[in-house]
Amino acid sequence: MRKRAAAAAATASLSVLAIGWLVGTPAVASLQNTLGGSATDATVSAAASAPAVSTPTATATAPAVATATPTATATATPAAAAPAAGVTGTFTGSVVATRFGNMQVSVTIAAGTITDVTALQLTDKDSKSVQISNRAAPVLKAEVLKAQSAAVANVSGATYTTQGYLTSLQAALDAAGF
Amino acid sequence: MSLDTRARPHQARPRIHPNYPRRMRLADSLQILAVVSVALVVAVFLADGGAARISTPADAITALGIVTGLVGTDLLLVMMLLAARLPAIDRAFGHDSAMALHQSLGKPALYLILAHAVLLTIGYALVQPAGFFDEVWIMFSSLPDMPLAFLGLGLLIAVVVTSLVIVRHKFRYEVWHLVHLLSYVAVLVAIPHQLSVGTLFREGSLQRYYWLALYAGVAGSIILFRFIVPIVRSLRARLTVVGVDQEARGVVSIRLSGRQLRSLRAKSGQFFIWRFWTPGLWWQAHPFSLSAAPTGSSLRITVRGLGDASSTLPRVPVGTRVSFEGPYGLFTDFARTSPRIVLIAAGIGVAPIRSLLETATFAPGQATVLLRSSTVDDTYLVDELAALCRARGAELRIIAGKRAPGTSSWLPGDAVQARITLATLVPKLREADVYICGPRKWTDEVVRDARSAGLPTRQIHFERFDW
Repeated sequence: MRKRAAAAAATASLSVLAIGWLVGTPAVASLQNTLGGSATDATVSAAASAPAVSTPTATATAPAVATATPTATATATPAAAAPAAGVTGTFTGSVVATRFGNMQVSVTIAAGTITDVTALQLTDKDSKSVQISNRAAPVLKAEVLKAQSAAVANVSGATYTTQGYLTSLQAALDAAGF
Repeated sequence: MSLDTRARPHQARPRIHPNYPRRMRLADSLQILAVVSVALVVAVFLADGGAARISTPADAITALGIVTGLVGTDLLLVMMLLAARLPAIDRAFGHDSAMALHQSLGKPALYLILAHAVLLTIGYALVQPAGFFDEVWIMFSSLPDMPLAFLGLGLLIAVVVTSLVIVRHKFRYEVWHLVHLLSYVAVLVAIPHQLSVGTLFREGSLQRYYWLALYAGVAGSIILFRFIVPIVRSLRARLTVVGVDQEARGVVSIRLSGRQLRSLRAKSGQFFIWRFWTPGLWWQAHPFSLSAAPTGSSLRITVRGLGDASSTLPRVPVGTRVSFEGPYGLFTDFARTSPRIVLIAAGIGVAPIRSLLETATFAPGQATVLLRSSTVDDTYLVDELAALCRARGAELRIIAGKRAPGTSSWLPGDAVQARITLATLVPKLREADVYICGPRKWTDEVVRDARSAGLPTRQIHFERFDW
């Protein structure tokens, strides 16, 4: 390889790597900012901000999101002035199809505070998926309760589960007007 | 005055043939593309937040495992392109250099893929947590498409191990080649797990399309240039054997005749991979160089009965249909950079040298042909070479004599003692392109001599004819 070609190849490669790095990290930085460093698990998925990441589930959820109607229980008393503040009730998220099975969660909100997230369906395509989602679900639940939103860290090794879980959760929160 | 005009070109620095910078620009572009393709897959991983997600040692190991898999696979695809006989690659590097590069990438690619398997197993095992071999079993049995991926890894190991120089010569060429073709299977069966396990190439993502496009491009190139083009060319050319001439004991020239051979754009010094459609020979293909300048209706090769196939070739009947892949190689006048030319041949390596001599561009007095053999009787096509040298004003030297035992010189023992080298044999060597064709070890020795004479790489051209 001639020197000039080697230099050009090195420059081009480094630029490509730098671009990749920049595209990959702002997503992280912005997420960490929104979390205010509260997440002890610093593993943050690009899922929330990188558009490419959300596309796979987008196709699957588009019709499902429409049906994400809140299963508003009798106690649902949305406050008129601040709709987001005083919501109470249990809301069911959309069914999100992932590579490893369907995901669906319901969220319980009491006076504007997320008090519980229940996994109605977890990825169960095979034993490994079950294993992964059983490990990830409690972690995600804890994170969501702490962050009080669907903008939480990715559980490493369970990216599909995380994506499906949070997408379904977001649909439920949207339905609640949370 | 006329003397002055002849002297001037020698005083000025030899002008480099315009083909050369053009060829090197193409070579540079291809090399840059190959390197950037590696950077690009790593960048895709980074852009997806691959590095940013790392928080635990297990994450780091898993991420490294993904990167080694990506880079290793990209190298495998580059290797397949190098072997796909792409016209651009042949024009830029020549088939020989492309295959040398292909060969040198084999081990690094395998190591990367092995690292990919081991690192991901460790990374996954740490998360589970499970032992290494338990995790291998878990991956094999519960992750989608992993049995196929394990199969691909096994095949890849088999392909690379059989290609190691020491192991390779224990096999017949056809057996080795058959094993080597399994690399296509190895690469194909690895695709499903890349798409289903892990999230980088998840459905609908941009990088999934990029990755699949890479595969499609490589597969398309292989199908087009290794299969469709040779078949179409063979069918159109309708080559048949029209004559077999005995040149020496065990050495024959095979004359072939066909149609529309101009469209092949074959050049003197190039080789084809030939297949003779007779009962004993049809199942094997062999590379042989043109030993005469190609015409619109005829080609000629000169073959020595070396391998098991070429020993039956002298008896190939007239009228035999011949199919071919090619023409390939940069052992041609196209690769010239300098006004003078030196052609050096040993043994049956004389074949491409003979055809080059016929059509290479040089003025009378600017070409030297060196024919190396142990005895004067060992030389082939000498009469033709002598006639061509007379007609074109080239100097022919036959250097006969045994090599001194234990030395590594391409010249006979007495020549070495007399301190004769390429530089002393050829006047104005620095202004010449040197073309070398002979057995592998001998060729390397001539190349070394030419280098030590101060000849730059661009002026040294060689083709080795053993696989």
